[in-house]
Amino acid sequence: MNEEELLTALRRRDPDAFTILFETYSDKVYRLAVGLLENESEAEGVVQDSFLRLFVRLDQFEGRSKISTWLYRVAYNISIDQLRKRRPLVALEDELMDDESPSPVILMDWRDVPERLLTAAEIKDELDKAIATLPQKYKVIFTLRDVEGLSTRETAVITNLSLSAVKVRLHRARLFLRERLAESLMEHV
Amino acid sequence: MTCEDLLQYLSDYIDHNLDESLTAVAEEHLATCHNCRVVLDSTQQMIFLFQEQGKRTIPAQSRQRLFNQLQDSFLQVSG
Repeated sequence: MNEEELLTALRRRDPDAFTILFETYSDKVYRLAVGLLENESEAEGVVQDSFLRLFVRLDQFEGRSKISTWLYRVAYNISIDQLRKRRPLVALEDELMDDESPSPVILMDWRDVPERLLTAAEIKDELDKAIATLPQKYKVIFTLRDVEGLSTRETAVITNLSLSAVKVRLHRARLFLRERLAESLMEHV
Repeated sequence: MTCEDLLQYLSDYIDHNLDESLTAVAEEHLATCHNCRVVLDSTQQMIFLFQEQGKRTIPAQSRQRLFNQLQDSFLQVSG
């Protein structure tokens, strides 16, 4: 079922179309929200609210943007609103200022290290720990571009950033995560 | 191309966003610079690991509840 067919089926409230929608997008939206909010139950709430808003808008949804882009954008905005409520004294704009790219320090060749030394669960644990230390403004960009595989343009639309800002943040996120992961992998060598 | 230049272009190189001539110069540098090769390989490996194993999903105990609640709302919105 392509996107247009899915939208048509959703508009006539086809239960199978709902199942496809949920299976295709709920985890994606959840990953974005849980990355930003670092709270599972709040992230589940964001999934719920984003889907509910889509249901209400279904008849006006013109298909100018993809369902995924629309859902991500709504989920991103809800999450940012929640962060502002949670931390009203912290200016998010300050956090959103860009700083310099981290320089690679650890130059160990670890191409083969993870699978050789760690179990799948241990690797997952190291990845979780590494991304948890990534500043928020980079985490969302890395999640959308590299984990979810979205284009720079889609990521810019969702986060309301320029294409160049998305590229800069992705670059810094990658260097930052490479370094964090290298640090933790060194402990296993 | 210096190591600093390569580092600056690293993401564009990974994403195939460099033009042909810059790509050629980057590859020339990578062929002779062990450190830059390591940074490139480990960055690509890091991205691959996140794609393959870094995807969190809605916890199983919440997933069915969320599905049921949203399905009810979806069917109700039809009026």
